[in-house]
Amino acid sequence: MTDPPLERSEDPLAYWLKHQSSSYILIKTSVMEEVDKILIHALKQVGMEASEEIDSIKLFSSELIVEAVVRCIRVIDPGLGNALPTSLPPGMSARFRVGMSLAQSCQDIGYKGEIGYQTFLYSNEPEIRSLLMFLVEKLPRESAQSSDQPTGKSVVLQRAIAAAIKAQLAVPWLPSNCRLPMHCETQSPGAFHSFHVQPLSLPHCTKGLGQKQLKEVKDFQWDILPPVTAQPAHHASVVASILEQHTAELSAAQEWDIEWNSQGLLSRLTPQEYRSRKLNRLRKRIEEQLRSAALPFPESALGGPCSTSDLSELLQNFRGSAPSDHVLTKGTHFTHTQKFTFAQEAAAVTSSIPTGHQSETDIQLHQQEELTSLQQQLQQLCSDVDQLAADMKHMSVTNTQVLDELKHREQRNSEKEEKMQVKKKTIDLLPDSDNNLLKLQALVEASAKRVVNLASQWEKHRAPLIDELRRLKEICSNQDLESSRKLSEIKSLHDRIRVSTDEAKKKEEIYKQLVTELENLPQDVSRSAYTQRILEIVSNIKKQKEEITKILSDTKELQKEINNLTGKLDRTFAVTDELVFKDAKKDESVRKSYKYLAALHENCNQLIQTIEDTGTILREIRDLEEQIETENGNKTVANLERILDDYKAIRQENSALAAKVREG
Amino acid sequence: MLAVGFMAYTAVSHQGAIEMFWFHVWRSVKLSIFMPYSITAQIDLLCHKVVDGLCGREPPRRGDYSSTWSLEEWLELLNSLTALFSLAVGSNSSDEEVLAGLSGVGSSHAEAVLSVIRARREEIRRALLDRTNSISSATLQDFDWQLKLALSSDKISSLHTPLLSLSLDVRENRALRSVTMEMNREELNTLISSLEAANKVVLQLK
Repeated sequence: MTDPPLERSEDPLAYWLKHQSSSYILIKTSVMEEVDKILIHALKQVGMEASEEIDSIKLFSSELIVEAVVRCIRVIDPGLGNALPTSLPPGMSARFRVGMSLAQSCQDIGYKGEIGYQTFLYSNEPEIRSLLMFLVEKLPRESAQSSDQPTGKSVVLQRAIAAAIKAQLAVPWLPSNCRLPMHCETQSPGAFHSFHVQPLSLPHCTKGLGQKQLKEVKDFQWDILPPVTAQPAHHASVVASILEQHTAELSAAQEWDIEWNSQGLLSRLTPQEYRSRKLNRLRKRIEEQLRSAALPFPESALGGPCSTSDLSELLQNFRGSAPSDHVLTKGTHFTHTQKFTFAQEAAAVTSSIPTGHQSETDIQLHQQEELTSLQQQLQQLCSDVDQLAADMKHMSVTNTQVLDELKHREQRNSEKEEKMQVKKKTIDLLPDSDNNLLKLQALVEASAKRVVNLASQWEKHRAPLIDELRRLKEICSNQDLESSRKLSEIKSLHDRIRVSTDEAKKKEEIYKQLVTELENLPQDVSRSAYTQRILEIVSNIKKQKEEITKILSDTKELQKEINNLTGKLDRTFAVTDELVFKDAKKDESVRKSYKYLAALHENCNQLIQTIEDTGTILREIRDLEEQIETENGNKTVANLERILDDYKAIRQENSALAAKVREG
Repeated sequence: MLAVGFMAYTAVSHQGAIEMFWFHVWRSVKLSIFMPYSITAQIDLLCHKVVDGLCGREPPRRGDYSSTWSLEEWLELLNSLTALFSLAVGSNSSDEEVLAGLSGVGSSHAEAVLSVIRARREEIRRALLDRTNSISSATLQDFDWQLKLALSSDKISSLHTPLLSLSLDVRENRALRSVTMEMNREELNTLISSLEAANKVVLQLK
């Protein structure tokens, strides 16, 4: 009766354990591989240098572990990490110290698990994995950083440029004969041409305006003038020169265009006339400037013959090609003097050029005579001019005075005429005074009446008009209110439109940037594969959970059945025991059978106990086996050997140090 | 402004100076009488080269003529030819005046020089005007610029400041001096607005 359920209870559990544990272990290992891959990828991004073969935490050496942990800490907390070395020092005690400080900083960051120097020096896989997982989770997310500064494609480009420059800066400098082709691009100064300009000679520039070309010019351009590319001394400055020439011509043309359109067209002149007028105005201005600059120091200007001649030449030049001696009609005494002296000198010069072969004394004599006569003439003219100027000034003053007086008198005249007319009318009316007075009074009364009449009429018209006005004003103010309300509405709408367009633009930019970033992302971390794997794992776990619940319910049922059966057994035993005990008092054989019954019961109890004990022992055995496995995973023996070696090394170091101390 | 250009060159036209000058030119150009025939044919080319030098391009190289003249003669010839061209164009002298001045030289050479003057008159005039226009103590000869984008500095990780390095070639007392400066955006705007104001004044004078 009891056997079948027991067998049934034993069977599925064992079956499940046998199959599920193996599949569980399989899943576990595959998940661990995945986790290791993710961890190693993250660590490589942080800057750990691991070879391609290392694809699981199991293969990590102590050096690699230390490097990975330190790099992670440096990223998480630079202040803490920069004090730590990325590689283990050779000395054993130093290694021990590094391990201690690493463990301390891990705990500072917030690692809760068990950690000490042994974690790094005598590594064991699960501990290291949990530590690395904690650190990688602590790493700041790059996506969070990048979303802070979204400004389109340019940011991506600039980041790429910055990265390229950083890489170039990281390359060590090499002397020029050690450089490989890849260095030449960034390290050699290269063909560095500064942009130098030389003037060019172009046929269309040298052509004068409206002049027919001389034969020599044409010959020169045909035969001797080199092409524009051969004109500059250095080949490198060809482009610069041409560009410069072009820009200069273009900007000159543009500026002339602007000036002509803004001012020239308004003056209603042809371009030539406009130009000549401007030139004349400019000359006059420069003349005035120079004169005003020269006038305060007439003595010094007249003092040295050299300076006077220079100045006169300057003035002559400002008059330039225009043969206009009468431009200076308004000149002062000083400029007149200058002009005369200069004209004389120039005359002397021009006359002396063709007659270069005459004897010098003749020329000098001639000049002397001319000079004295001209000077006399000049003095006379000067005095004349002075007198005339004074006269003119006097005349103009008196003229203005007279004009003023004239105006005044005319005014007074007109006033008097008006007065006279009024008086004349009153005199005309005087002879028939009474009649006229009456008429006048009648007139006055009539006009008063008319005024009253008009006023009443005006009032009649006024009242409705005022009402109308008030009504209209009210409507107007209403409309004003309405319109202002609508205006404000429109304004707010505009604002909203602007805000939303801005937002849309911003979002568009962010979208673009994200798309480019997505394209630029390295494709080795395939997200979809990970998610698929995760989903698989989750579904596996679900299946396992279902099975576990099934088994649990099975066991519960079994337990219930067992309880049921034991209860039944107990009751049956009690009844049997009572019956047999009753009979045993009467019958000897029955007493024997009672004894047997008791023995049977006891034996069965023992049997059940034994079976239960076996189950617990089996469980214990399994536990122990697991423990053994984990211990085996901890590489205890190897680690112990290493610890022994390291201990020996420390002792050696210590003894060496002690010897040194003794020697010292 | 055009008239200002003549100032410096008319200033030379005193009787004595002009005599001296023509004598000097004659003495130098006389040297060319002793030139071998093959070089005589090249006198056009030489004169054009001298004009090129006057106009700011490459002057003739002494190496090409070193067999004909010694260094001293070469320099004298070069100087006098340059001065001759400057004077002839600057004082706007007629063909007869030039020929009269060159009367001491062989007529074929004088003709050659004259034809060069006639061909290049406008160009020389322009160069002389340019030279006279730059009468201030320092004049801008040339400029060059480079635009740089500072991505980061030692203190700031992301800077993104455009910088313009402007180099001005300034001629000061005939010596070329390079002035280089670096400006950020505001400084460049200030410079450009002041240059534009200056250009407005120049436009009024044109």
